[in-house]
Amino acid sequence: MAYAEIITRSRTLAITVAAGLCLFGTAAGPASGLPEDVVTSSGEVGHPGGRLSVALRSEPKTLNPATSVDVSSREVIAQLNADLVHINRQSQLIEPALAKSWKVSPDGLRYTLQLRHGLRFSDGQPFDADDVVFSFKAYLDENVHSPQRDLLVVGSKPITVTKIDPYSVLFELSRPYAAAERLFDSVAILPRHLLEAAYRSGKLSQSWGLETSAQQVAGLGPFRLKEYVAGQRMTLERNPYYWKADRDGRRLPYLDQITFIFVPNADAEVIRFKAGETDMINRVNAEDYSTLERDQGAQSFRLWDLGPSLEFNFLFFNLNSTLPAQSSALARKQATWFRQLKFRQAVSLAIDREAITRIVYRGRGTPLWSPVTPGNNLWVNASVPHPARSVPNAKTLLQSAGFSWKQDGTLVDAAAVPVEFTIISSASNAQRSKMATMIQADLKDLGIQVDVVSMEFHSVLDRIFQTHDYEAAILGLGGGDVDPNSDMNVWASTGNDHVWDLGEARPSTSWEAEIDQLMEKQLSTLKPEDRKQMYDRVQAILAEELPIICLASPNILVGARTELGNFKPATLDPHTLWNSPELFFYHREASGRP
Amino acid sequence: MTARKQIALPLIFVAGVHVIALFAGFFAPYNYAQQNRDLPYAPPSPLHLYDVQGVFHWRPSVCRLAARPEKFGVYEEDRNNCFPVRLFIRGPQYTVLGLFQSDWHLFGVSPPARIFLLGSDGYGRDQLSRLLYGSLLSLFAGLLATGLTLNLGALLGTVAGYYGGWCDAVIMRCIELFLALPWLYLLFALRAFLPLHISPSRAFLLLILVIGIVGWARPARLIRGVALSEKERGYVLAAKMFGASHFYLMRRHVLPSTYNVLVTQAALLIPQYILAEMTLSFLGLGVAEPVPTWGNMLSAVQQYDVLTSYWWMWAPGCAVILVCLSYWYLASALQARAEVIGH
Amino acid sequence: MRYLGRRLLQSFCLLVGVSLLSFAFVELAPGNFFDEMRLNPRISNEAISGLRKQYGIDQPLPVRYARWLGSVAKGEFGFSFAYNAPVGSLLWPRARNTLLLTGSATLLTWIIALPLGILSAGARHGWIDRSTLLLTSVLLSTPDLLLSLGLLLFAVRTRLLPAGGMISLAAENQGGWQQAESLAIHMLGPVTVLVLISLPTLVRHTRAAMIEALDSPYVRAARSHGISPGRILLRHAFPVALNPLISLFGLSVGSLLSASLLTEVVVSWPGLGPLLLEAILGRDTYVVIGAVVFASVLLVCGTLLSDVLLFASDPRIRSERLA
Repeated sequence: MAYAEIITRSRTLAITVAAGLCLFGTAAGPASGLPEDVVTSSGEVGHPGGRLSVALRSEPKTLNPATSVDVSSREVIAQLNADLVHINRQSQLIEPALAKSWKVSPDGLRYTLQLRHGLRFSDGQPFDADDVVFSFKAYLDENVHSPQRDLLVVGSKPITVTKIDPYSVLFELSRPYAAAERLFDSVAILPRHLLEAAYRSGKLSQSWGLETSAQQVAGLGPFRLKEYVAGQRMTLERNPYYWKADRDGRRLPYLDQITFIFVPNADAEVIRFKAGETDMINRVNAEDYSTLERDQGAQSFRLWDLGPSLEFNFLFFNLNSTLPAQSSALARKQATWFRQLKFRQAVSLAIDREAITRIVYRGRGTPLWSPVTPGNNLWVNASVPHPARSVPNAKTLLQSAGFSWKQDGTLVDAAAVPVEFTIISSASNAQRSKMATMIQADLKDLGIQVDVVSMEFHSVLDRIFQTHDYEAAILGLGGGDVDPNSDMNVWASTGNDHVWDLGEARPSTSWEAEIDQLMEKQLSTLKPEDRKQMYDRVQAILAEELPIICLASPNILVGARTELGNFKPATLDPHTLWNSPELFFYHREASGRP
Repeated sequence: MTARKQIALPLIFVAGVHVIALFAGFFAPYNYAQQNRDLPYAPPSPLHLYDVQGVFHWRPSVCRLAARPEKFGVYEEDRNNCFPVRLFIRGPQYTVLGLFQSDWHLFGVSPPARIFLLGSDGYGRDQLSRLLYGSLLSLFAGLLATGLTLNLGALLGTVAGYYGGWCDAVIMRCIELFLALPWLYLLFALRAFLPLHISPSRAFLLLILVIGIVGWARPARLIRGVALSEKERGYVLAAKMFGASHFYLMRRHVLPSTYNVLVTQAALLIPQYILAEMTLSFLGLGVAEPVPTWGNMLSAVQQYDVLTSYWWMWAPGCAVILVCLSYWYLASALQARAEVIGH
Repeated sequence: MRYLGRRLLQSFCLLVGVSLLSFAFVELAPGNFFDEMRLNPRISNEAISGLRKQYGIDQPLPVRYARWLGSVAKGEFGFSFAYNAPVGSLLWPRARNTLLLTGSATLLTWIIALPLGILSAGARHGWIDRSTLLLTSVLLSTPDLLLSLGLLLFAVRTRLLPAGGMISLAAENQGGWQQAESLAIHMLGPVTVLVLISLPTLVRHTRAAMIEALDSPYVRAARSHGISPGRILLRHAFPVALNPLISLFGLSVGSLLSASLLTEVVVSWPGLGPLLLEAILGRDTYVVIGAVVFASVLLVCGTLLSDVLLFASDPRIRSERLA
């Protein structure tokens, strides 16, 4: 009996060893052995080689996906990591990524994801369901304080993650959630073998800072960290284990390296691009676009105007019920002017949005009457009215609300108090400051005296979110995702970005209550047509009641060298590098510049 | 050049600049806030002495600009649509010295033409008018703030250097403290403390106070060094033995030897302070839109496309350099005259 | 010796005072680092308050100051909210880059300004004097920002100078000589601007002090004795003119870390300037306080140095002190 056991065991052992040899055998030459579940890209077939140079407008602060918040860090992290389900930036629809397929239970509460087999992290270690479970555990752990946590909390309960077998994972939600698959986008899967120890000792949030050596960082993205020079640049090199290949079966990415150069501001970025030091430019300002346009032919680059972005800039009045103490003047202004719908409508009618688009965005923008821009063609409500600027109509509205004009043209309210208020805006954002100056001139035609106070960014934020000590302000929001759920916190009365009226326990007006109801319902409605109807109604209410007066949205303006192949800029962030595995240079040799 | 001519030239220039600044409304063809939204970044208007048929006129004329569609900031002159420049024309109303209204302007063109002798800015506002209206504020803010700084610096530096000992040590440590601290934060706090709407005159005063007080440390240090060695001079000791009071000694003997340092520091500080308003408006403490100052007009030049494409936006910078140069020459000439008289 | 000891003690107290006051100032300013996260609708208030607690921002001032002192003792100088790393490791590499720039600029300025000032004073109303006066007047009347922007415009228009950064990408992978060359050409622009900014004051002060010294009776006596003009300039007049120059020298040394902030930001030189600006505007408090303390140390050294030099060079001060 014992002898048979030994033989059986040794045979099992032999098979295991053989299988292991095969596994390790293929791993020894990663370039040759593509994983079992490789994804084939549909882009043009290129050739490997070349170094891409990209500018970042501020230094990345960390490489840790669990703690990163700022734009630059997220841009680099997106190249180093991969997610389970990804939103295709061009089509704006979901596509499988690390999860090759999934099944949804009929009640919409359980998502079973099948992971791809045979994938490896950039350091060669295999990927399986344990990494997925670990990652989500880390994101949801309250002691890690990951900003990602809130994204994974549905209906005030976090989603639960369970491993079914080494290549399937079960996600359970506490209530049905529309477009739940979109939750997984950009939630990077962390390597358990590198980070579990840190997590157990409570040091996960300090891991993967900028000083980490390249061997300590690994991910499933197309590139891996090569080098970081403080204050100057960060270089990423090709991930030899990446799980995508082109149609000819060659493993992606084509590029040998991506170098992120740190520049202090947008102007420096344009200068470097013109000087040939960077190969692509992301989100050019409209002003710089015109300067670059002039040199387009002479130099070897091309510019793209992708149409309106998701960003919406708006003017809003202080409608908070909790005002700072000793601000009777502000309270009076709020009660007699700002809360009057006709006053806000008149202000909206008097603003010249076409001129704002022309002067602030050089024509490369879109005037807005609703926060959902035309760039969001899946969800925009086309029937929201777009009234043109009309000072006479505005004056009629004001008259019917009890306002009148003095001899010299000053607008006064029913109690003969001249109408004047201040607009605050951030001094670091030249475009919003310009909008404020133009609105000041526009409202002068109505006889309203507007003061523009342009102050430092954090002081503005403090006034809006903390002290509520302001009269009107100009802000810009949006750009997260096309889905209505991403801006939920702006429209919900209890939301933390309900900027005109923060800190409310209950909606203060009937239309805000209606918006709350509609947003709640569409959150758990699974049919897209029904959601669209509800969201359309929300947009209509916002355009009628005008808690925010939308102004304009900038277009997405990008540029790249003509010799860069497969460059397909998209309206969702990251606009230029979302398909970095497919990018290649037509005329550059491997690891060299021409 | 004789001493008289040396003084006369800069004096005339400086006096002229200040007179123009005081009567800016008369010399400027337009109001500083008037936006022409169809003419952003228009280049300086060429003045034509020959009309479209080639006939010469003494009176120059300005032609209408047509914007090229789809191209921002590119204009074509319409030579068939020209208007003569007229002197002593009636135009937008303005207040003279805050006393009475007038609508007489030195020159201008009848609408719908526009005369932009120094081009227009991003909103289509006439740069020349804004330069003139802003000159009063900028020049006086610069001068007064410099005066405040130098007075404070001279006072504390002299006291420190003269008395020496622990008085010197305390003041010197204060200077180091002042130079080291991050004053920007205090300015943020100041802005938060002040009401949102500050009246223009208060804003002006605030400007002078903030700029003037923040900068006293450096001159004080230099003056203290001079005072330290001056007080040991023979005549100072002699005067002391005769029973002169400390105050007399400081004022009469020590302070005059610091004049050189003071004048050089003044020449350095005035242009810096004129532009310091730019930083203050970033913090919300400066003069608010649409009131122009040379500082906030120059902040537009920091943007790359303005820096490289619209050269007329540098005009306030040239104005600063010219005016400060003339101040400097005037001061040197006066000093030379004083020396001559002294000998 | 006792004087030195007293000054060191005073300087130490000063540093403590600077750090305390900086903390107080930061406390007064509205807003904190995490405010910017409020603009992101996908981050909840609870997450933000959790982060605030984690970094200890909600603690009262004395507790935070005590913690910071402990961190200084460990050599970390506090923790950056943005970079999630100790402040010391952030500041050192950038401070080195800044010192490289300002050190070279200060050296060049003094090397050019002293002879120029002495020569103009020696040959008053000569052509050297006239051209120096003109040049310095124009430079004095030109604000720093315009000079930096002018450099940027020049670099962009003529392509003779690189438009920013410290070293080109290509040179990174080559040998030491190419790296040094690339570094030198990247430094050329900012150093020129810094020299142009600080040159006029120094030249003017030197010239004015020399003129005063040359007009004094003992110099006239020396001249009548037949001593050569050169010897008079250097041996008799210059030591007397040293007084304001020494104070200026102390200020130069003291502002090595802070003088180039504007220029660094305009030409994107990876020094302390851009980091500090971002930290101040982003309310990354410990970075700001760390940088302020660094700069104060240098400032204190500069003042101490100039006081010692004043003491050593001017017998009048020496005699007063010893008396």
